[in-house]
Amino acid sequence: MEQSLKETIRQDPKKILGVNPLDAKVSLSYLTVAFVSLLIGGILGLVQGLERAGLIDLPSWLNYYQVLTAHGLLLLLVFTATFSIGYLYANLSHALGGLLPKVRKFAWVGFVLMIIGVAMAVTMIVLNEASVLYTFYPPLAAHPIFYIGLVFVVLGIWACCAGVFINYRHWRKNHPGQVTPLLAYFTMAVFVLWFFATIGVTIEVFTLIPWSMGLVETTNVMVGRTLFWWFGHTLVNIWYLVAISAWYVFVPKIIGGRHFSDKLIRLVVILVVVLNIPGGFHHQIIDPAISQSIKFLHVFMSLSIAVPSLMTAFAMFAVFERTGRKLGGKGLLGWLKKLPWGDVRFLAPMIAMISFIFGGAGGIVNTSNQLNQVIHNTMWVVGHFHITVGVSVVLTFFGICYWLIPYLAKRKLTPKMNKLGIIQTVIWTVGMIIMSGSMHIVGLLGDPRRTSDTTYGGHEAAAGWIPFEMLFAVGATLLLIGVIIQVYAVFNMMFFAPKGLTEYPVAEPEDDATPAPMWTERWGLWIVLLLAVVAMAYVVPIVDMILNAPPGSPPIRTW
Amino acid sequence: MKTTEAIKSEKQLNNDDEKSLRGTLVSVGFVAAVIVVMWVAVFWIYMERV
Repeated sequence: MEQSLKETIRQDPKKILGVNPLDAKVSLSYLTVAFVSLLIGGILGLVQGLERAGLIDLPSWLNYYQVLTAHGLLLLLVFTATFSIGYLYANLSHALGGLLPKVRKFAWVGFVLMIIGVAMAVTMIVLNEASVLYTFYPPLAAHPIFYIGLVFVVLGIWACCAGVFINYRHWRKNHPGQVTPLLAYFTMAVFVLWFFATIGVTIEVFTLIPWSMGLVETTNVMVGRTLFWWFGHTLVNIWYLVAISAWYVFVPKIIGGRHFSDKLIRLVVILVVVLNIPGGFHHQIIDPAISQSIKFLHVFMSLSIAVPSLMTAFAMFAVFERTGRKLGGKGLLGWLKKLPWGDVRFLAPMIAMISFIFGGAGGIVNTSNQLNQVIHNTMWVVGHFHITVGVSVVLTFFGICYWLIPYLAKRKLTPKMNKLGIIQTVIWTVGMIIMSGSMHIVGLLGDPRRTSDTTYGGHEAAAGWIPFEMLFAVGATLLLIGVIIQVYAVFNMMFFAPKGLTEYPVAEPEDDATPAPMWTERWGLWIVLLLAVVAMAYVVPIVDMILNAPPGSPPIRTW
Repeated sequence: MKTTEAIKSEKQLNNDDEKSLRGTLVSVGFVAAVIVVMWVAVFWIYMERV
């Protein structure tokens, strides 16, 4: 680790010393909110797991669905969004030589808007006025303030999008004929997706506000669900794109290698951006009101997202093998032993990548029409997104923390902190294997998700689920221990670790690599293709849902 | 003592070994196997239940 730091300082000191302190403050503020959310959301996760296992009874002022909504919103939206923004803005600053002053302002405006929005939404959940689950689609109706809070969150994200687009445009103008640095390219892609993902949910929320206020009597549930999943599934791939930016750009450097191919990486990014949004339909694959032929189309549109994932699997294995062999690894798999398993900056994202093999395979099951009928709305789905988001994405985020936070805070990762990170990673992995594994199995046995009590009057089939539900609680307990260690590590590295310089571990291409072609920079074209794919997927079913609308639903409160 | 030819061919062998992606092929084969096994297993459950 030290050798490569010295080398990098010698070769290009800017790579070590580059980030503007004002930019670092932006990123650190977002990361602070992220890890406070993780702590609260993690505690709520354990509460939920214990209640579901029947080990505790919640007090009368708190209900299961309230806890479930807060857990989902804080972790799936607030934690992931604020972490991603903090991390990507740091990458943008590093790659483009600092943020423009007005871009920094956009980032701060976004920060304030998001804090206001989250405060409004969470207050309504705490007051038990918005136990509508993380998916918040109709007919469940929250208090209007909950939806208005979400509007603020979206406005905050748009402010961050605007900042990135301005900075990108400025760099492009000043660097004609050059391809954007890879980190900035990933950042641009993520924010393009953020922008188009949030259009769907914004339209949905604007129809729900007058409905929840009583100004409109009914709403079209099918359109609401469809617009939600337009956003909801794209969000999944936003996390994925953020995670693979670290796999492709930082992990190779950390293990002492080079990245695989600039061209392949950019092609993966383009495919994820273009193909992504219609994937939302596989969440509705057994919904009524969508014709069979449209569903058939959507199975293939959803499965197309597997293509860039499989390209990533190949590229990452190739990076590991090349590096391991250069380090002396022999035989078919001897190179695996040469990888730095004792370095948390590698171990955490590596486990994240391994888990994605199983998470991705589970995703293909979910997307297949008949197979979805086996697992639809069962605990399998909960297990699936805990292994994909909770390990593939979150462990990557945790791994990033061990170099990004010391770098931003001008501190060092100590061997002791590295060891703690390894322990945290092991606890997290074991906890998630127990919890997510048991969720997958019990889901196949029929245990439903989003249900507080599943004893069904002591029915024999339901009784068979109980041992697995106990395992949820065991796994959730380990995960909360993991959350506490991670939050401690983050704030220790932010404020108390020894002062010093940390490397921003950006991998270089191979010596004989061909440079990335300029056509990859044609964002206008990628956006047109994205819109064409969205039109192909959405126009027919949405028009059908509106023209042949069933009676609308009034607002419903089930709690 | 090794001849120049022998050293050259050993170097070539080492170089080939460094560039080999046999392990990658096996690894992506493992990914494919996980996908197929999981898909077939759940499809089998589906067929059992319909």
